[in-house]
Amino acid sequence: MRPLLFALSVPMLAAPAVAQKRAVAYTEFDLPNGLHVILHEDHGTPIVAVSVMYHVGSKNETPDRRGFAHFFEHLLFEGSANIKRGEFSKLVENAGGVLNANTNGDRTYYYEVLPSNQLELGLWLESERMLHARVDQVGVDTQREVVKEERRQRYENQPYGTLTMEVLQRAFTRHPYQWPTIGYMEDLDAASEADYQAFYKKFYVPNNATLVVAGDVDVARTRELVQRYFGDIPRGEKVEQPTIVEPPLGGEVRDIIHDRIQLPAVVMGYRIPANGTPDFYAVELLNRLLSNGNSARMNVALKDRQQVAVYCGAFNFPFEHPGIAMLFAIANAKTDAEQLEAAMQKEIDALATAPISAEELAKLKAQLETEWVADNSRIAGIAGNLATAHCLLGNTELINTEIDRYLSLTAEDLQRAAKTYFVNQNRVVLHYLPTPNSQP
Amino acid sequence: MFTGHNRWACCSAAALGGLLFPALMTAQLDRSIPPAPGPAPLVRIGEHATSTLPNGVRVIVVEDHKLPLVNIQVRFDIPPIHQGEKAGYVDLFGELLTAGAGKRTKADIDRSVDAIGANLYTSNDGLFASVLKKNLEPLMEVVHDVVVEPTFPAAELESALMRALSSVQQRKEDPEAIAEAVGRSVMFGRSHPYGEVTTERTLGKVDRTMLEAYHHHFFRPENAYLVFVGDITEKEAKELAKEHFGKWDPKPSKTTQDEFGRTVVEGLGAVVPLQKATVASGTRRVFVVDRPGAAQSVVRVMFPLAIVPKDIRAQQAQVMNTILGGGIFNARLMQNLRERNGFTYGCYSSLDVDRFNSSFVASTSVRTEVTGQAVMEILNEMEGMRKAPVTTEELELAKRSMMGSFGRSLEDPRTVARFALNTRLNGLPADQYSTYLTRLESISAQQVQDVANLFLLPDQAMVLVVGDLERIKAGLKGIGMDPLDPFTQLTEEGERWEEVLTPVTDRTAEQVVETYIHAIGGREKIAPMRHLTLVHEQQRGDEAFRFEEWFGPEQYRSKLHIGEELVEEFTFDGQRVLYFDGANSGEMTDAGFEIVRLNGRPVPEVAYRNVLEKADLMGTTKLNGKEVYKLTMTYTSGNSFHVYFDKETGLKLRSVEEQFYNGRVYERVVDFADWKPIAGVLFPHLITEEGGVSGPIRSVLGSSTVNQATPKGFFDVVIPEVKEEPVPPEMLPPEYSAPTEE
Repeated sequence: MRPLLFALSVPMLAAPAVAQKRAVAYTEFDLPNGLHVILHEDHGTPIVAVSVMYHVGSKNETPDRRGFAHFFEHLLFEGSANIKRGEFSKLVENAGGVLNANTNGDRTYYYEVLPSNQLELGLWLESERMLHARVDQVGVDTQREVVKEERRQRYENQPYGTLTMEVLQRAFTRHPYQWPTIGYMEDLDAASEADYQAFYKKFYVPNNATLVVAGDVDVARTRELVQRYFGDIPRGEKVEQPTIVEPPLGGEVRDIIHDRIQLPAVVMGYRIPANGTPDFYAVELLNRLLSNGNSARMNVALKDRQQVAVYCGAFNFPFEHPGIAMLFAIANAKTDAEQLEAAMQKEIDALATAPISAEELAKLKAQLETEWVADNSRIAGIAGNLATAHCLLGNTELINTEIDRYLSLTAEDLQRAAKTYFVNQNRVVLHYLPTPNSQP
Repeated sequence: MFTGHNRWACCSAAALGGLLFPALMTAQLDRSIPPAPGPAPLVRIGEHATSTLPNGVRVIVVEDHKLPLVNIQVRFDIPPIHQGEKAGYVDLFGELLTAGAGKRTKADIDRSVDAIGANLYTSNDGLFASVLKKNLEPLMEVVHDVVVEPTFPAAELESALMRALSSVQQRKEDPEAIAEAVGRSVMFGRSHPYGEVTTERTLGKVDRTMLEAYHHHFFRPENAYLVFVGDITEKEAKELAKEHFGKWDPKPSKTTQDEFGRTVVEGLGAVVPLQKATVASGTRRVFVVDRPGAAQSVVRVMFPLAIVPKDIRAQQAQVMNTILGGGIFNARLMQNLRERNGFTYGCYSSLDVDRFNSSFVASTSVRTEVTGQAVMEILNEMEGMRKAPVTTEELELAKRSMMGSFGRSLEDPRTVARFALNTRLNGLPADQYSTYLTRLESISAQQVQDVANLFLLPDQAMVLVVGDLERIKAGLKGIGMDPLDPFTQLTEEGERWEEVLTPVTDRTAEQVVETYIHAIGGREKIAPMRHLTLVHEQQRGDEAFRFEEWFGPEQYRSKLHIGEELVEEFTFDGQRVLYFDGANSGEMTDAGFEIVRLNGRPVPEVAYRNVLEKADLMGTTKLNGKEVYKLTMTYTSGNSFHVYFDKETGLKLRSVEEQFYNGRVYERVVDFADWKPIAGVLFPHLITEEGGVSGPIRSVLGSSTVNQATPKGFFDVVIPEVKEEPVPPEMLPPEYSAPTEE
């Protein structure tokens, strides 16, 4: 066995004053092969979450292989040099665990939650996936069909299901965020075996991955086990992340989308800064001001007072590169898209004209505080939050301190953000209308 | 009060193997085998305390001080009741609890909840709320008002009705929501509390006195459970309960009995709780909600059941369902439909064991082309569970997985409260959950097969498909067990589908027919076509046929061949029709004569006025998502058939006629597609036929000739039983090559 030589080993027993007993304690270090490891010990329930976040998502794809990162996620359940096709999930479920994975524009995330005596199994499975995953043609052919059905089920056979992709497609012209993570089937059909191997070799390397072990484990022993299972996985080439800079939108983009729906909807996609930047948080607070809780401004104005909408929502896409905030409302049966948009616009304009009241700001902060506590209440959630903080925000400690970035924002910060980002030339506006044939 | 101390995976072989765990850290890592587990950890069910207030409110407290969070649940024990023609009012009641309470308006309630960062969700049987410990007191005040003093303001009811109407409309374009609503109505029946469907009509009958009466009758201290979970002590919880709910002592609701012995509640009318669980009956049936052009088919295979939660077999049934399709990746349905066949992103089954009425539902969304196959695979897997015992490997995996799931669920302190509440509501033994793991461990493959035979009923299942009827119906054949009733078409609201016709006032039947004639080229192009030969390649089941037609002026002849064998022939000389079935021939009269006389011309529609008694424009309707005119054509005999013309293109899309054969009625549906010109006149080059006496036929127009004269006497009809010689192939006119593109 190799000596335990960790390039970086920073035990973080973080306990900032604000967070008090709610702080998540963790240990993090890098293996010599570049794998970043985060360990969190919590004996509350005899379970352990083992997860790996690979810093590869749809933004790492080339324009002729859109959907490849997500497709790869499916393939990586197919087995390894030591795990036969179909055995991966069997091993986990036989051990009383669950497993899954998900992909977005920036990263691919795999996890198992197991009884804590099965820690080693989780480490072995993830190390096998990283070291020598096996992709065979049977798996490729089957998963291609599965992914086509996933696309149909989640996007095409779903009212408003194409909303996000229609907005992103118009909000970006150069950056890969313009295409949906699920991708396009013609690209997947065109992919060859060489493509798969190249993708695996390029991105599924320890120096592009964050391993998190959280739960009922002993940190010292887990550290040894991590070294044992992951230490000999060879470092890969340095992964170059895309550097494409999307130019400003340069004017409002408007379109009408016909969908199989009964109620019209209006969606606005505003271009905003990257996740982790101060203004990203300011815009997120504006979103919450508009739609979080029944007393939120859009809910009160559009649903209760004017009674033009049945649903209102506003949220940021937490993209690593500059992304979008999406504001969305569905009209009720007696309202058309123009009326609905006018009602939304009034609330958006109000954000810029006057600073929000102290009472509203206090409400936003109270809501955040509750959410933040609840968000770190499950081991699987903590594992995901730790991985995201390191992999996408570059600072694991944000699991404990990101809330301060929100809490420190002022009414002026929010007003300035509204004036900067929630402006017409910075947005895509789509009206979703019933296809002429689907009217009753 | 109960507590449980259990070994997780207590006596399984793998867990015992795990006890051998020593530190193998120094040994060389052997990657080829999965690492052995460590010693199985203890699974501990947290403690809870219960007490009862003098007015009957039962209080359940689960302390968990890990996070400064408190969860509150108020739950009333209310049986499912029939809402009948007012379906939807119970849901509106739940939604409107927060629309005004005590002195608070809706806006007051919303502001109070949000200001302290709380969550509050109400439903027809109570509420859930959560908040940081420091803000618990103000939340409790809101909880009290919402539960005890809701006011149901008329204006808020109006607003909620508008939202409900909108969502009823939206459901019509949401395949999953259709499957859910129609599925329940098909499974339980439309007059069962679980099968009622909320529609525009039923919402129109809801008024606010019903909401008040429902509250008064069912939201009562003696029906109530008040549950606290989280960063709160038993003492604090009891004090809060006493402070906010201790003085609650509402007057009894005014009830009488009606002539049927039912309870009649003032303001609400007869309240009819579910008396008896509905169970599967009859044989397997198929229901379809048509969504032309749907991206996928949403499939449900389901039936109602009578098993109750306290039945000892309920857990065995859950193991059975887990192996079949209950949420694990290695379940049979998932492995079959997704991993082996690639039909779907996922396929699951659920066995909902409910104290009032249980049910089984297998669900998936599959690509349109494999809909029938997917349903068959689901039914086969259900049958497979009954026929043979599951393998030891499957049984063990299912049990481990369920054990793991049980263990993980305990991470959430609300689980302990849920166990306590379930135990009381369902009348479970006090040790139901503390013995869960040991009972699970002991379940055998034989028991699994036994419960499959008792509770898995593929032959009595109801199959619901929300999808593109035209493209799936062939595949659905043989799934329903009554061959005369292959499927029932339903509306998005679960009612038997009937063609909805919108009257047309701006044109006549004749104008629709003339528009069609114009669309295919016009009379000026059709009239010069005095002779026409068409050769169709037909597929009937597995067999290939050749169907040839010769059209002359008021003359017609057709021949149907399999290979070189002539199996059917019609000849029409303008007066009489001769039929030959390959062995015998005879004159056709009555209905057969009418049909040949009309259709024995290149474009029958040009002769409608001469040949038919009348043509009626019935109205517009939808066909495969297209707006169409429906015409009913009546022969002089009184027999009739229907023709559908595309409103936009004018083209003929479909004809429908009834056929009578051997005492049965067949509905023959012929669809016309792939219109391409022959000598400047559009002809359908793809004709598909379904439902007729001859079964499904797919007919592709291959070649044609125009104005090549036929041999003399070719159309002669000789009635005496003289066997006709088929025309030798070399006598046929040379082929006219039809253009392949428009």
